[in-house]
Amino acid sequence: MFETLFKYSRADYARSELIFAGEWPLLLIAGLALLAVVSIVVMLVWRRGNASVFQLATIATLQIAMVAVVLALLMQPTLTTERLRDGDNAIALVVDNSASMAYGAPASRFSEALSALSGIVPDGGADSGDFSIRHYAFSDTARPLDSFSGVTAEGNATAIADALRVILSEAQFSSLAAVVLSSDGADTSGGLTAEQLAELAAFGIPVHTISVGQSSIPEDIELEELAIPEKALPGSTIVARVTVRHDAPGTAQVKVYDDDELLQIVPLALAADVTTTTSFIEVDLQKAGPHQLRFTVEGEDAEPESRNNSRARLVNVASEKYRILYFEGEPRWEYKFLRRAVNNDEDLSIATLLRVSPNKFYRQGIDSPEQLEDGFPTDRNTLFAYNALIIGSVEAASLSAAQQSLIRDFVSERGGSLLMLAGPNGLGNGGWGQSAIADVLPARLPPSSADSFHRRKADVSLTPQGAGSQLLRFAAESADNRAAWLELPQIADYQLVGNLKPATITLLNVDTGEGLLPLLMTQPFGRGHAWILASGGTWRWQMSMPLEDQKHETFWRQLLRELVASAPQTISLTASATGGNAAMQLRAEFRDEAFQPMNDVGVTLIASHDNGESVTLSMQPDEREAGVFGARLLPAESGTWYFEAVAERDGEPVAVARSSMLHESGQSEHFGFRSNPDLLRRISEATGGGYFTPENLAALPDMLRYSSSGITETEYRRIWDAPAFFLLLLLLKSGEWLLRRRWSSV
Amino acid sequence: MPNLARRASTIVAVVIAIAAASVRGQGIAPAPAETRPAREAPGEFQFVRLAYSSNNVYGSSGWGRRQAWQTDWPDAEHHFVKGISRLTRVAAAEQGRILTPLDEEIYDYPWIYAVEVGKWYLNDSEAARMREYLLRGGFLMVDDFHGSWEWAAFIASMERVFPDRPIIEIPESDEAFHVIYDLDQRIQIPSRMFIYSGVTYEQDGYTPHWRGIYDDDGRLMVAINFNMDIGDAWEHADWPDYPENMTALAYRFGINYVIYAMTH
Repeated sequence: MFETLFKYSRADYARSELIFAGEWPLLLIAGLALLAVVSIVVMLVWRRGNASVFQLATIATLQIAMVAVVLALLMQPTLTTERLRDGDNAIALVVDNSASMAYGAPASRFSEALSALSGIVPDGGADSGDFSIRHYAFSDTARPLDSFSGVTAEGNATAIADALRVILSEAQFSSLAAVVLSSDGADTSGGLTAEQLAELAAFGIPVHTISVGQSSIPEDIELEELAIPEKALPGSTIVARVTVRHDAPGTAQVKVYDDDELLQIVPLALAADVTTTTSFIEVDLQKAGPHQLRFTVEGEDAEPESRNNSRARLVNVASEKYRILYFEGEPRWEYKFLRRAVNNDEDLSIATLLRVSPNKFYRQGIDSPEQLEDGFPTDRNTLFAYNALIIGSVEAASLSAAQQSLIRDFVSERGGSLLMLAGPNGLGNGGWGQSAIADVLPARLPPSSADSFHRRKADVSLTPQGAGSQLLRFAAESADNRAAWLELPQIADYQLVGNLKPATITLLNVDTGEGLLPLLMTQPFGRGHAWILASGGTWRWQMSMPLEDQKHETFWRQLLRELVASAPQTISLTASATGGNAAMQLRAEFRDEAFQPMNDVGVTLIASHDNGESVTLSMQPDEREAGVFGARLLPAESGTWYFEAVAERDGEPVAVARSSMLHESGQSEHFGFRSNPDLLRRISEATGGGYFTPENLAALPDMLRYSSSGITETEYRRIWDAPAFFLLLLLLKSGEWLLRRRWSSV
Repeated sequence: MPNLARRASTIVAVVIAIAAASVRGQGIAPAPAETRPAREAPGEFQFVRLAYSSNNVYGSSGWGRRQAWQTDWPDAEHHFVKGISRLTRVAAAEQGRILTPLDEEIYDYPWIYAVEVGKWYLNDSEAARMREYLLRGGFLMVDDFHGSWEWAAFIASMERVFPDRPIIEIPESDEAFHVIYDLDQRIQIPSRMFIYSGVTYEQDGYTPHWRGIYDDDGRLMVAINFNMDIGDAWEHADWPDYPENMTALAYRFGINYVIYAMTH
């Protein structure tokens, strides 16, 4: 209807600019308009008869409107539109041929996508006449094609941003006017960041997207995400975060395997009002060495795709010796029982420096007669060789200002963990609140003048954060763990720590009889963490409970392991999956003994597979972080990959970092295979393109033709002869005639 | 006189406490729910003297008579604790405590002293309690018993505590002899009677022995000072006639045991 009246479509009007193409001078038009108005008014007044003022005004308005329309038509109203110049431009038709496009019944997503693209260019590949057509298929990257014939959906990954970047880059060498991309949006490269979207938009070429596939598949459940530590100490318990995707409620179970051994089965309730359910599963790892942990989720019914039900990770259980320095200012029971608690832990080595008398330090757990011979370390290399530092009941003044600064650097630069214990000469009483490490600590300690240490027994309780913390676990089940903590005897003493700092997390409270106060707390500081245990009396847990009870030992073993595990090593190499497991991201960090970044080295990565295949890459320095090097690897083979990052200076190797990772090639497309129309819509909106579905493609051809990118020309389309104008003139004149007859007086 | 009155009242209180403990029965009663103490503990280390039953080898010690476990009390610990405070950084309580093996509070004091153990008697419950106490991390120093008869009497109860753990001579290299003082001299520390008799031994205990019982990790749990009287040397530290060098040596052995107990 609109097009009948106005000659062209609404979309034509929307994308066009209205101009007047008539050559009559504007002054003449204005003069004629004025003359016409005066003439109309004079004639009506002169021949007014018995007409009222209202009737005269109405007739005058109709006549003036008609004159205005005629004058406007004399000025030749015209639409101007930028459109692609015939034959000079190209349109890229892009189809997603990743394996997830093979899903769908009766027609696959891939055939839907091809059909949609063919609808734009009916001959299926030849040029349209207005512009030339280029064909691309993409999975992990884009490949130019002569046509879509013979292409199948079997790509191992979907990297939409990478593919578009490749295609849009060709605009530098040719006049690419637009891109039409048909996909399920099931990107496996980790999503699309705002930076990636901005980069695509910067090309100035609209990307029109056609979304295919279903975003909800109730009959399928998927193990969407598995987060698990890469490393652990022997005998430790790790926590795996398992996220299950489901579009329908029900029940499921998660089976945990260590290689082929079934470790446990965890039931899972899938709620009705959410599409993902997350569960935290604890796994005990006793033996040193690599553990291939596999988590498999099983639902109640058969599924269309079972390959997305299982994920595996390699956890390296390293039997390294972690070193702790414990500086204590007075002989006391906490010192003794802390040492005994971890005496048989082969992964922890505690060197203690105990001031037994005013003139004597007693050393225990030392590796050589020279270790700590001169007292508390005075240089970075010596102190930084430890992973964690414990400071007991000792005055801050017993250390020099330089040593206190060294402790601060130990936490902030080395990334070590500092644990401060309570005592008559510890924390606030020891003047640590006014020391160089006051900023490091998670609390603003009271001054030494306020005696904050109390040798009074008190109950200990878990905070909500503590209840969820792995390091305070005595039992796997939360209820059992809370019960175990309630059974603990009172601690022998406690100390007030003052106000907590904003980033502090409190894990344990102590009941002083006048309320709950923080007992165990931590805060991050620089690269490391600082902790306070505001008691020197946990030894009562050992002495007051039966010999068989291991809670005291467990508490200290888990706490000290947490301290050392979070402290970085001088060299490290971590491997992580990117692109939905399609690629591996390697990150190596090299620091010297004083934990200064090694910036003057070149780093080579050697990746070796079980089958003997080997790849050598150069790792690139990270511009944002000194001493850090990165590399990306696209392994073809599934299985365990072993990595060696070799740092060389002047051609000589100076450090080697090692790691390993389990890679499952070709699996990523079966995870997250539900369509993701939101991602496609975001791409269209960011680049100025349109978002379509196969059922709604009518507007796409015109959007392509009138693309503002590429080589364009201006199209002029006159509209003075549009029926609407003549109809308007007829209506105005008819109206005047009818009114004159009705009033019979004008 | 006031001092005597105080001592007498304390003795009566202790005896009543022992009687009350024995009335509780032979088994170890379940621990009552812990309550908040009315006042703060007086120090990190508190000298605890073990009050035990007599083995009747030397006749029963009844009401109104001084018990064997009370020997040297209270001057021995008064003097010794001051020495600990003066010579180490241990926060030691000035006042000692007296506990029986079956006192639940015994677990709050991981160091305990028993004197004249040639006269002690531990029944099965008491032996089991002492075994549990020591294996959890407690430390027992025994002292002032002499000769083969008293050794046999000591062993009779000690074997109920640890039927399967040997008693061995503490090696010279053991940290108990070096933790703060290097105690290379093996001199028999005599009782006060030495001043009158001129001999350092008692009965047939001619040769002093520093013996011990160790736990599975090689830590000394029981320090057995046989054929010597360290407690007398502490007690008579202020007596001009008692040899000063013996008192000094006794202090050093005692301090080493305390520091060892607090570090191992």
